[in-house]
Amino acid sequence: MGAITLSRRGFLKVAGLSAVGVGALGYTTFRSLDPVEAEELRSAPAELKYTADVMCPAECGIMVKVENGIASAVYGNPYVPYNAATICAKGASGLQMVYNPNRIKYPMIRVGERGEGKFKRVSWDEAIAYIADRLTAIKRDYGPESVIMDAGDVTDRDTYWRLAFAYGTPNATEHGSICDTPRRHGPKLMFGGKRVEPDIMRPLLLRQPDGTLKNDYSYRTKLIIYAGWNPFTATRINYESRGTVEAKLAGAKLVVIDPAFSNTAAKADKWIPIRPGTDPDLFAAILRYILENDDPDDPSRRYIDWSFQDASVGWTEFASAFRSWWRKTDPINGLSYFTPEWAAQRTGIAAEQIVELAHEYGITKPAALIWGMHGTGHHYNGYIPSIIGTALNVITGNFDAPGGVVDTEITKSDKGGKATGKDFLKREVTRTVDGKTVTGTQEELHMDRFGDWVAAWDDVVGDYPRRMLEGVTLRQGPFRGRTYPVKAYILRTGNSVITGSATWKWQEALTAKDDQGAYKVDLVAYIDTPFLESGMYADVILPEASYLERVSLSDVYPSHPMIWLRDAVIDKQFESRTPFEIMIALAKALVERGDPDIKPEDFWEKYAQEADFWTEALAGAPGRPNVGRPLPYPNLPEGFKLIGTPDSLEAGRVEIDPENKTIRGEPVTVEWLREHHGVAVWPMSYHRFPGGILKTSSKKIEFIWDWTETVEGEEKRFGQYASYNKLIEASGNVPPPIAALGWQKYPKTFYWFETKWNFHTNPEYASYRDRYPFQLTSGRIHHAMSGTQMVDWLGRFMVEDTWLPINDATTYDEINIGPDGPTPTGRKLTIAPNTWALGVIQMNAADARGLGFKTGDLIELETPLGYKARGKVNAVETIHPGVLRVAFGAGGRFSPGLGKNFYFKDVTPNHNELIDPEALSPVMGQPAFADMLVKVTRV
Amino acid sequence: MLVANNPDVLAGLDTDASRRKFLSRFASATFAGLVAPAVLLTEFERKGGPAPAAAAAPADIVPLPDLPDAIAGQDLILRMMVDLRRALEKPIEQRRWAMIIDLRKCTGCVGCTIACVTENKLPPGIAYRPVLTETSGTYPNVSRRFVPRPCMQCDQPPCVPVCPVNATWKRPDGIVAIDYDKCIGCRYCITACPYSARSFDSGYFYSDFEGGDPQPYETVAAHEYNTDRIRRRDAAPVGKARKCHFCIHRVERGELPACIVSCMGRAGYFGDANDSTSLVSELLGQPNVMRLKEELGTEPKVYYLV
Repeated sequence: MGAITLSRRGFLKVAGLSAVGVGALGYTTFRSLDPVEAEELRSAPAELKYTADVMCPAECGIMVKVENGIASAVYGNPYVPYNAATICAKGASGLQMVYNPNRIKYPMIRVGERGEGKFKRVSWDEAIAYIADRLTAIKRDYGPESVIMDAGDVTDRDTYWRLAFAYGTPNATEHGSICDTPRRHGPKLMFGGKRVEPDIMRPLLLRQPDGTLKNDYSYRTKLIIYAGWNPFTATRINYESRGTVEAKLAGAKLVVIDPAFSNTAAKADKWIPIRPGTDPDLFAAILRYILENDDPDDPSRRYIDWSFQDASVGWTEFASAFRSWWRKTDPINGLSYFTPEWAAQRTGIAAEQIVELAHEYGITKPAALIWGMHGTGHHYNGYIPSIIGTALNVITGNFDAPGGVVDTEITKSDKGGKATGKDFLKREVTRTVDGKTVTGTQEELHMDRFGDWVAAWDDVVGDYPRRMLEGVTLRQGPFRGRTYPVKAYILRTGNSVITGSATWKWQEALTAKDDQGAYKVDLVAYIDTPFLESGMYADVILPEASYLERVSLSDVYPSHPMIWLRDAVIDKQFESRTPFEIMIALAKALVERGDPDIKPEDFWEKYAQEADFWTEALAGAPGRPNVGRPLPYPNLPEGFKLIGTPDSLEAGRVEIDPENKTIRGEPVTVEWLREHHGVAVWPMSYHRFPGGILKTSSKKIEFIWDWTETVEGEEKRFGQYASYNKLIEASGNVPPPIAALGWQKYPKTFYWFETKWNFHTNPEYASYRDRYPFQLTSGRIHHAMSGTQMVDWLGRFMVEDTWLPINDATTYDEINIGPDGPTPTGRKLTIAPNTWALGVIQMNAADARGLGFKTGDLIELETPLGYKARGKVNAVETIHPGVLRVAFGAGGRFSPGLGKNFYFKDVTPNHNELIDPEALSPVMGQPAFADMLVKVTRV
Repeated sequence: MLVANNPDVLAGLDTDASRRKFLSRFASATFAGLVAPAVLLTEFERKGGPAPAAAAAPADIVPLPDLPDAIAGQDLILRMMVDLRRALEKPIEQRRWAMIIDLRKCTGCVGCTIACVTENKLPPGIAYRPVLTETSGTYPNVSRRFVPRPCMQCDQPPCVPVCPVNATWKRPDGIVAIDYDKCIGCRYCITACPYSARSFDSGYFYSDFEGGDPQPYETVAAHEYNTDRIRRRDAAPVGKARKCHFCIHRVERGELPACIVSCMGRAGYFGDANDSTSLVSELLGQPNVMRLKEELGTEPKVYYLV
């Protein structure tokens, strides 16, 4: 650490400051280096250090150049096959995040009202005491379940979850349920998985016939269909950039189905514009076509590979439920459900084109049908295309086939293990319900799974505001009938005010007061590196060490098991602390206050240092079975679960446990990763099911989700919805979101319902067609994620048609995040016109002409619910008529921590000011971000 | 008011406005140029420039990544790094650095642009390698192409003869170099470049627009042309012409240019065109090789696959 201390001093000298002076105001005058200082800095050696990115959830393996203790450049790690030395613009620009002048530098406590952004700097002791005092009182007065730990958008959440679970709340979550849960639903129901991706991650480490392991760079895919998925701009699955274009050069055809001409569409052989929210209709038409026209005896119509039935259960029931709709007539167009003509009416795609697409997908093998966040994840009924898409990939023989699709959730390395603290959830707790004492487990106090959202595998962040305002009512399990309030909201690396459903609803919930004038939610804590909008509503703010300053693990979606280390490659900046340190500090403070549930032996006595915690989290890696072809480890028993380092498994330095079918090599540790370029890679194989990777109750692909079988003389319930239906049967309480669909329970197999705020598909909204003629959809910009927009480098370049340097000349009084929060610096700055990218409203050029708008005009969008947002028009040919696209999180940014974007908050639209906070998709509670209608007027 | 953003500073920036301007001046020629076939080049070197920097000593060559063997062929990055090593063993005048960009694989992510900015510690307003975007057509028949535009390292560079002080010249290995200490900042070269690949360093720092404090990465030396320069307001390269140099400081250590190694679409290739066994030589033999503004006779060393 000596070198780093030196370098810091060097840096401070450059800045013209003394170490004491840094804190004083935080703002200093720049001066140039003198030659001696320059020489001192220059002579320092540069090092390349391996770590994991987290500028976005792709979390690529990176190498950071560190000179004199300063991170000076970011490169892709060539040893990580997921990104194979590549890095996107956002990853490369991480330096401006880590060293951002608007970073939170010190702990702070609120001095104004929530939302005013007035804070004062405090010591860590004061800040920790502030939180611990309130958590202690809340546990005493209401119970620990009144605390929500929202570990936000960044995946190394394990320390925070451990603390929360040990404290006694089951309500610890992350951002999954405001991400794309409907999109993950089909794979979850049918595979126990989550993310279906095309088999285009290269290189793939494959066992060779001669026993060696070699990298395969060849592509087998013949057709890729991306529906509502834009990997070139989202860059979320890193390898889908190079993989898609390389597969295409190797002969694959690329079809992109999207209302907007995305960058991915720009590379496609065919762009099929579709109306937002009609992917279920297109997918259903494809499945019907394939079922009606499949002919095993005709090579030109042999769509279905019936061998899938050997490894699956319930196809007959699924197909029958699907077919039952064919006999019905759609009230909106008078046509039979799922025919090409019916789908054409809804999607806006010609019936002939739908037939062509269905045939092409059915006949081309291997092929990959992929549905995305915006196409499915952000719609009220997004489960349906996810379920149909999953079924299509299975019946056409493409699931886990070479060149087909891989469910990366069940093939990636296991991580977390006991470190995450889920064992605490099994603790027995006692509560009073209707005057009676009831005993159950901590888990059974969960506000979603035992409340309104029984099948929500990821907690329902989008519904937190309502519970903050109205309180929680448990409807299932032993504690049903119990109510409790939400008294604390601890938000770590998330920005729910902007991203977690309607912004105004979050503002209302976080500022609501009770009869005594106290805030309903007693404690709002914000833990992060950047200062985002949600921080404006916090009572206490803790500066978290950035991703270059802490240890943890990547959480990614590759085609086969691999994991890499996030390592502290530079010293912690200012007074920030790592999540591990924050966990220990809070645990100690709670114990000091007499907390009965937190034990020293579960925290500081157990983990001497940060690396120990993450080594425990690695204990189960890779945790996947030795299955598939080619067999990953032919030297080891087939079907057994693999645990241990790649080198120990390869060399056979293992213990084999035949009873538990486990192979245990030498454990993967933080130290082992540091000695191996930061990464562990285990081999790829195909055809890894059944009995292998599937996480379903029957270990088969399940087309049915609640059924009973007699096993060894006992009746046993199977299927992914079974346990939830058992709860509902026991309580007699139907969860309100599914009751609204007319369901009594979660369905046994295929289901169908319409999306919200869409007059093309749902007759309920037909009357809005004339007054609110535009569908509003969201888009992703890799530059403009909620938490990275302060990065200057990313603000200078256009992205697609939603992020455009079309600012007016703007002069503003600079506000920076100082020691006491947002503080005017006294500088007046000017941004020259057309030099800074703004989130804009993408509109079809013909629509714009019809309304008399041209690019750059300021317009207002208004929803039928009366909500409004303003932004500049970008009139282009690259979007479906009748559709407006606004980038998610790219406007109306009212935190000064957002840098230049803050000064354009009044001319950039916040998409989430417009959404319907009641439109939470009924099974998982995901906000229907992309279901809204608007009218437009000139400002 | 300390320093304001001034339009001059940002004129070279790859904003949409400047892009439009650039395209209106050059677009037709730019994209027309794409259809002219490439020809093999004759060597052109401007005599009288400073002596070339010596090749890095073998001890300075970075180790090759120790990747698993490929089933067939070789990892592209590894292969290009091996190519570099072969080239670096030759005398500098026998090397001919060339870059190839496969436009079919460019996904328009601008990762290369930012990787270059961080590698070379470029100030606000300067991007050595923007990605030009051209969208055409009418809904639903639209097309868009992305064209990364580094310095072309022309064999007949129009920027070189206009320099009144011989501060820019063509090195024996083909790189068009700038001697920041000699450059007087007259900007003739900037005007002369038909590709708009040169920019003027007006001396701004990110801290001028944000926070006021120097950002730490701005205080670290850039290694352009194998020198270690910490950028200061009162010293070169401030006030000088700047442009892409194929990351020659990396190349001479056996590393690929930052844009090539970072590329999300694996669309970039780099190597010695004088080595018939190199990957770039192999690719240059394909029929779909194009260069920008071929008709000007500048003989660029940046090739595009279309």
